[in-house]
Amino acid sequence: MTVWLVVGGVVQVGLVLLLAPLFEGLMRKLVRARIHSREGPPIWQPYYDLFKLLVKEDTQPAAGWVYLLPSVLCLASVLTASLLVPLFGRGILGEQGDAILFIYLMAASVAAVVLAGAMSGSPYSSVGFAREIMMTLTVEPVLIMALITAAIDAGSLDLGAMAAWHSAHGPSLSMLIAAFALLLSVQAQVGKLPFDVPEADQEIMGGPFIELSGPKLALFKWAFWAKQLVLAALLVQVFVPWPTFTLGLAGSAALGAALCALVALVKVLVVVVVVAVVDAVNPRLRLDQAMAYFVAVIFVAGIGLILAFVGT
Amino acid sequence: MAVAEQMTEDLGLGAMTFAREIDERAPNQVYVEVAPEDIVGAAEHVVQRLGGRYVVTVGTDDRERRGDFCASHIFSLEDRHVFLTLQARVEPYEPAVESITGLVPGASWAERELQDMLGITVHGLDDSRRLVLPDDWPTDVHPLRRDVPYNIRPEPVEGLAPPRREPPPGASVMAIGPYFPVLEEPAYFRLFVDGEKIVGCDYRGFYNHRGVEKLGDSALTYTQVPFIAERICGICGFIHSTCYCEAVETAIGVPAPPRAKYIRSIMLELERVHSHLLWFGIAAHILGFDTALMQSWRMREPVMWLCERISGNRKTYGMNQVGGVRRDISAELAQEILQVLDTVEREWLELYRAAQGDGTLLMRLADVGPITPEDAKAICVVGPTARGSGLPLDARIDHPYAAYAELPVNVITFDNCDSLGRTLVRLEEVFDSIKQIRTALRNLPEGAVMVEIEEIPPGREGICTVEAPRGEAIHYVLTGPNNQLAQWRVRAPTYPNLQVVPRMLQDQNIADVPIAVGSLDPCFSCTERMEVVDRRSGHARLYSREEILELSGPRLGLREPPEWVHEHNDRDHVH
Repeated sequence: MTVWLVVGGVVQVGLVLLLAPLFEGLMRKLVRARIHSREGPPIWQPYYDLFKLLVKEDTQPAAGWVYLLPSVLCLASVLTASLLVPLFGRGILGEQGDAILFIYLMAASVAAVVLAGAMSGSPYSSVGFAREIMMTLTVEPVLIMALITAAIDAGSLDLGAMAAWHSAHGPSLSMLIAAFALLLSVQAQVGKLPFDVPEADQEIMGGPFIELSGPKLALFKWAFWAKQLVLAALLVQVFVPWPTFTLGLAGSAALGAALCALVALVKVLVVVVVVAVVDAVNPRLRLDQAMAYFVAVIFVAGIGLILAFVGT
Repeated sequence: MAVAEQMTEDLGLGAMTFAREIDERAPNQVYVEVAPEDIVGAAEHVVQRLGGRYVVTVGTDDRERRGDFCASHIFSLEDRHVFLTLQARVEPYEPAVESITGLVPGASWAERELQDMLGITVHGLDDSRRLVLPDDWPTDVHPLRRDVPYNIRPEPVEGLAPPRREPPPGASVMAIGPYFPVLEEPAYFRLFVDGEKIVGCDYRGFYNHRGVEKLGDSALTYTQVPFIAERICGICGFIHSTCYCEAVETAIGVPAPPRAKYIRSIMLELERVHSHLLWFGIAAHILGFDTALMQSWRMREPVMWLCERISGNRKTYGMNQVGGVRRDISAELAQEILQVLDTVEREWLELYRAAQGDGTLLMRLADVGPITPEDAKAICVVGPTARGSGLPLDARIDHPYAAYAELPVNVITFDNCDSLGRTLVRLEEVFDSIKQIRTALRNLPEGAVMVEIEEIPPGREGICTVEAPRGEAIHYVLTGPNNQLAQWRVRAPTYPNLQVVPRMLQDQNIADVPIAVGSLDPCFSCTERMEVVDRRSGHARLYSREEILELSGPRLGLREPPEWVHEHNDRDHVH
């Protein structure tokens, strides 16, 4: 059992790491560049970027392994969270962790960004991490409320059980509202426009990331791309788990699983495309405007929560 | 002299007891000589009784000619289409004048420049720090004095910093600049912030001052200056060369032929179109809206190609000369211009509608960087910055130049008094500019495009304003002997507009600073001549075109230019 866990975990983490830059590259070339009337960079550009950054010299204002901590923590928490997402019935670590752990891991990835910002003495960085904290205060509750809505529906905190309950009981109003609110929050969670307030290149030049270079910057970039994939997967697997092929079309379980994976991939792609389009067609909001927006989203998510309580 | 007398009567100048001498040399220019001690009173009369709008202050070193200095405050009387210049003659040994900033706060920079460049002390300035000169420049060398050579290069001094204003208690400092990603040019705003709120602001600029005026009135002849004037700005170069040429033409009383004037108007409006398209892209980029940047710049590209078709260059056309223009527009070319304009107009309309329907975009612009009409008047801002605050200022109407006396310009104003107002002004001006070009092409008069001018008489003054995309640019010239200028003063539109920044940013959010400053369409300084400084010896030298080619050739794989390029260069050199 443990061996299976380790092998499966390694394979899935590897897949997430491998696919995350590909999705980013596809979006840059096929969505962003299209909307811009541009040729766009090669689809493999994010891989080149990562490679370049990873082999680059790490210029840092102060030495010490502790400065590596935030970037490693960010990527590690995102990758661990990916193991909780139910891909085939249940996440690889579904036995060991539930929605609460997932929420904590997402919060840890944000805390890593704040930490990176706090480690720099730059005023831009201070403004950036302060903004990151403020944004999280309104964005994180959306994720929490969406998951609690699903937990109430399914009567369990287990992500796999939520997915199973949704696929068994069909779409409900509370679930749709929760899914919608979650979709809106993904945009901010992965630092895309109009909500990239903490980084805001044109205002505070990358905020918490201003003094990061080389491998550390690479790990953060990788973590954000992976986070987009993980959240999209969570959204489509837990809240929109149809169509399912668990029984298999021709009675073959393996074929069913493969079809499931394919459908999941397509649905994730749809979410990522939506995120990329919204990113391309919006200017950046100001912190107060972004927070006001998410306060409204929290209200919407709250309605979903109430509906779940009354059982709709 | 009938015109002068009429003017004296009309303007109530006769009532000005302090007026020592009233001189009128061109129908739209009135020069009044005033005793230095009367200058504030005279300015008060002009501003309060005649409704004059302060434009700029020009300092002149007249010691060779008349044995003194002269400080000239130029005012614009929009309703009478007249420039009224108050000239205070200042004694040469300890030159000093009273500041008019109590009356016109917007005169602050020009008066500080008077101290820096001519060493005329201005009493009563609230901020007497250096404006233009570098911090290590010797205190007794004033570059615009005629006895200071144009190529003077004082020894650099290490470790000097500009005197700074301290933040108010409880506030911390956030620096925007000297180099900041979305401001393409060096400018240093020290923001005093309390959290994300701005409670004050200090500014230091002029990092790229190139002494173009000094070069123009000492090293060059009047026919060479247009090519330097055009290089003042990388976006509105034609505006500066037109402004200079028309100022000289006014001074010597030889206007350019009608066809040349129309061609100037066409080029000026093309510049406005491509400048506004450029600006919209940059403004969108500041807000992270790169789709609008890409689309706006894609639409702009055909206009640049058009400029290349007309002049041989996308930018820096080298077309203007005192007495006319050096290139004509053929009927065939006119047809091409009209076709490109049709496309630009159609696409711009789409973008204009999309921008107006974009809630997020409007949210980021509305109420950002407010400039009240009172502030706009006090600081004397110009162009879309003034028109976005409801002031109907437009040099094309106020002081017609080129062919604008015959082109029906529509002055577009908005009462929003914020970044949104300034944006809307520019968005709509693109349509009006296209209309102007169409009318000008339809009515293009026949005839020569250039009159030959042999010699220019010394001692003549000329003023011209041109409505640049950023606002009114002004050139003042005083001709000297040997076909040279004795004085050349350039004031770009950003000069008054930037002075409004401290008022505009008060109580604003840090996040809004880039777009608020960007909404002024600032042009801090423009292209520089290539200059290489040897750090060890501190010597600087200018590289010639051939040397640059030689240096860059092997690396960039450039070939030798064809023969005719050399010929062309030599011919220009003889001028």
